Amino acid sequence: MFFRMIKGALFRQKSKMIMIAVTIALGASLATAMLNIMLDVGDKVNQELKAYGANITVVPKENSVLTDLYALDGQEETAAAHLKEDDIGKIKTIFWGFNILDFTPFVNTTVVLDDETEVKLTGTWFNHHLALNTGEELDAGIHSLRSWWDVKNGQWLDEQKEGTANGGAMVGTVLAERLGISSGDSLHVKTSDGEKTLSVVGVFDSGGDEDEQIFTTLATAQELSGTKGLIDSIEVSALTTPDNELAKKAATKGPGSLSPADYETWYCTAYVSSICYQIQEAIPDSVASPVRQVAESEGNILDKTQLLMILITILSLFGSALGISNLVTASVMERSNEIGLLKAIGARDYRISGIVLTEIIITAVVGGVAGYFMGYGFAQIIGQTVFNSSIEMKPMVIPIVAVLIVIVTLAGSIPAIRMLLRLRPAEVLHGR
Amino acid sequence: MSLLEIKNVSKIYGPLKALDNVNLTVENGEWLAIMGPSGSGKSTMMNIIGCMDKPSLGEVILDGVDIAKESGKKLTEIRRDKIGLIFQQFHLVNYLTAVENVMVSQYYHSMPDEKEALEALERVGLKDRAKHLPSQLSGGEQQRVCIARALINHPEIILADEPTGNLDEANENIVIDIFKQLHRQGTTLIVVTHDPEVAEVAQRTVVLEHGRLVNEIKNEGFEE
Amino acid sequence: MKKQTMFLRMITASLLRRRSRMLVALLAIAVGATILSGLVTIYYDVPRQMGEQFRSYGANMIFTSSNGKKLSKSEIDSAKKKINNSQLVGAAPYRYENMTVYERPLMAASTDFDEAQKTSPYWRVDGEWPSAEGQALVGQEIAATLEVKAGDTVTLVYDLDEAPATADEANKGERNQNSRDFTVAGILDTGGNEEKYIFISVPDMEALTGKTDVFDMTELSVSANRDELEKYADTITKNVDGVSARLVKRVTQSENTVLSKLQALVLLVTVIVLLLTMICVATTMMAVVTERRKEVGLRKALGASNKSIIFEFMGEGLLLGAIGGLLGSVCGFIFAQAVSMNVFNSSIQFHWVLIPITIIVSVLVTGLSCLLPVRSATDVDPALVLKGE
Repeated sequence: MFFRMIKGALFRQKSKMIMIAVTIALGASLATAMLNIMLDVGDKVNQELKAYGANITVVPKENSVLTDLYALDGQEETAAAHLKEDDIGKIKTIFWGFNILDFTPFVNTTVVLDDETEVKLTGTWFNHHLALNTGEELDAGIHSLRSWWDVKNGQWLDEQKEGTANGGAMVGTVLAERLGISSGDSLHVKTSDGEKTLSVVGVFDSGGDEDEQIFTTLATAQELSGTKGLIDSIEVSALTTPDNELAKKAATKGPGSLSPADYETWYCTAYVSSICYQIQEAIPDSVASPVRQVAESEGNILDKTQLLMILITILSLFGSALGISNLVTASVMERSNEIGLLKAIGARDYRISGIVLTEIIITAVVGGVAGYFMGYGFAQIIGQTVFNSSIEMKPMVIPIVAVLIVIVTLAGSIPAIRMLLRLRPAEVLHGR
Repeated sequence: MSLLEIKNVSKIYGPLKALDNVNLTVENGEWLAIMGPSGSGKSTMMNIIGCMDKPSLGEVILDGVDIAKESGKKLTEIRRDKIGLIFQQFHLVNYLTAVENVMVSQYYHSMPDEKEALEALERVGLKDRAKHLPSQLSGGEQQRVCIARALINHPEIILADEPTGNLDEANENIVIDIFKQLHRQGTTLIVVTHDPEVAEVAQRTVVLEHGRLVNEIKNEGFEE
Repeated sequence: MKKQTMFLRMITASLLRRRSRMLVALLAIAVGATILSGLVTIYYDVPRQMGEQFRSYGANMIFTSSNGKKLSKSEIDSAKKKINNSQLVGAAPYRYENMTVYERPLMAASTDFDEAQKTSPYWRVDGEWPSAEGQALVGQEIAATLEVKAGDTVTLVYDLDEAPATADEANKGERNQNSRDFTVAGILDTGGNEEKYIFISVPDMEALTGKTDVFDMTELSVSANRDELEKYADTITKNVDGVSARLVKRVTQSENTVLSKLQALVLLVTVIVLLLTMICVATTMMAVVTERRKEVGLRKALGASNKSIIFEFMGEGLLLGAIGGLLGSVCGFIFAQAVSMNVFNSSIQFHWVLIPITIIVSVLVTGLSCLLPVRSATDVDPALVLKGE
């Protein structure tokens, strides 16, 4: 029955129009899907690139001396500057607060184990519940900033669970192997400011230096290092716009060098340098700097991906445009007899063109509307399959697709109509 | 035995009887004209004789074979071998030259032979126009190409449907002259027409009206 | 004349003398084929090209010593040989030593600056990269502490004695020390730990410390996917004495995630674009063939069997498909090359096998889209078609 329907559709006059409408719908859906994906791919890939972790670090302004290097010489660092724990939430209140995806504070200290070896201990948030004074509530912490950690046994520390909030710890795989401990075991550590027995919740493999460290909750580390309410640094993961000339100028010469208009543009664009600047404004006595490894590469890859998608989009727009205009040309030519007849019975050229064009434009509108919704479907299929999130449908795509379809159908039909009009009716009717 | 025998043939389309119990016999070498106003069943008759349609009732015996009983595929073969068709609208393949159009018929029949095809065109006086496309030929010339194409495989019957319907008088005369020549060579001709002048020149004319044979005229003044 | 000759003559006549319509059909096929070959080429080349872009994240593999001793140049070189040379973007050896500047202890690192630029393309240098001996690259944090800028001079002092200096000894200058002056070529800004080091060249370090052919680790940037990297690391650790190769999980893991998403994106886009384009090509072909129903009727009336009519139309369609496919694969290559040059500034790797594939697909699509309308046309009574107009 299906094939019978197709056959029927192919050979009845009205159905020819359906075929044109279908082709226009396909072309329109292609254009819609590709344009929407192209416009959204930056955001989507940006989200994916967050897998590389933080792209901004915030440290105290006066942190001019180097804790770990002095420690190598056996000297105690006494005058290290700190940030205040209470200020962390302010990161979310900056102009581009919405672009701040995650952040976590760090407290670094060195602890002595039972076998008298020294080990680095880091206090941080894991999934810290934060209620901002703006009324917003969120969970922030290290989990998404260390997406490459492979928790080998046990699990991620859950701060919001009773019991692990205080004294829970995650241990790097190298250290765990050396000590012969795994999740569920406990670990006794001491510092000059106190001692504590940590319960190991998980062992992780980071593939880097962190494999020799202990990660615990912020409160635990502060207690051990005697720095209550203070933190050493903050890592921030933010969605940023790739740097351009303006951003580079602001980054190298400082925002002060910009003209007021440029400053405004820079401040209101999510460049990594402007976000850093805003963080510095929000958190007293802090220096926020981009992690070049992440920030720079991000911009590079985003630019390339976007350019790639733009070119693919151009190709598919070109393809669907040619496809549509081709079919329209073919179907107009097919009507040579009809046009010849109309001419033979004395119809004026503009009337003939009017009739044919109206029919095609009506078909194009029907096809275009159907195509827009098909394209919506295709875009969502791609969004869900690739990024597990829906593609935002930009309203600006609608006029673009509409104009494209109208131009393309006209471009496809007018030359064909003109060509047929030039023929003498007798020629057409006598089967040229 | 007659070349074509039509016995009690009816063609029924729903409530309409296009042909109603028609009996007709055509002898070998005969020139027959079928006349009648539009809607009289001429075209149906032509389609049935041309193996492009089958009667609802009755027998059509062509060269000893009842084509009313044959399958579509077999009908195509019979048409190819025994019938040469000439159409009112010529129906030439518009992208092939005159000689190629003639060769198409050879191609489906047996072997294409350009020399033979050119000879056929010569017979209809178109040798010098052989390399022209249909769009470059006048209506009369196109119809002559069509005749050459119908002749090329030496069919038992030439079946012409309003061959002069689209032609002016001069061309009409040329076509009639060719028919006369064919008749002299012994070709069986069946011409469907509503033009009395064309019917007049045939040996015998049958008149169809509302699907029935209402009259049969022997052309007394027919010159062999 | 042979039957085949007439067959070819009819087909070529149809293609050549019905120029405008055939151009329409050919254009449709060629566009379809262009999209096919262009997108598939890009799809295959994107991981490679993008992979190279991801190298801007820096080293994804490091060599360390597996026997507790330091690495030697020969060990590093033999390990490097295990990696396909075309995939190796850079390999920068590092050596770290404690030194002092104006009595302030700090960490000095020696490296090959040319290689370091390749493995850490994200380093931003304010000033120049060191290009000669006696020049140093100073991390931003150190530079702030020492209050130096590009063009200044710093004196690095290396303690040859193992034990730390007491204040007394230092004052008297009784320590066994080597010192050397360096011009600050540039200030290094990375936003990471590197800002806490002073980088000098390998010969300078060897002259200062008196120990040659010693390295702590080597950072490598290899343009390969995670599986390949794991294989390399495994081979090197097992087969090269004294070298242990490890992957920088942060880089490899994340690259794997992002790159696989990108590839999936391009794949899906390719599939959908291709699907829609092919349907467009098919509808155009159908329109072109449907137009010729009268001709089908005529040929039938002349005694052609359905089979031979289908055969002729298919012949025409297939020829058209082949020409369009060939044209399209060339255009597709040009497109892919243009994309590659624009996006990645490098030329594309063309897979020759795509030419036959493109042609075959075009032929199939055109063939199928001819077949449907021709078959329907042959089913129709020739008398009806011929009487039609």
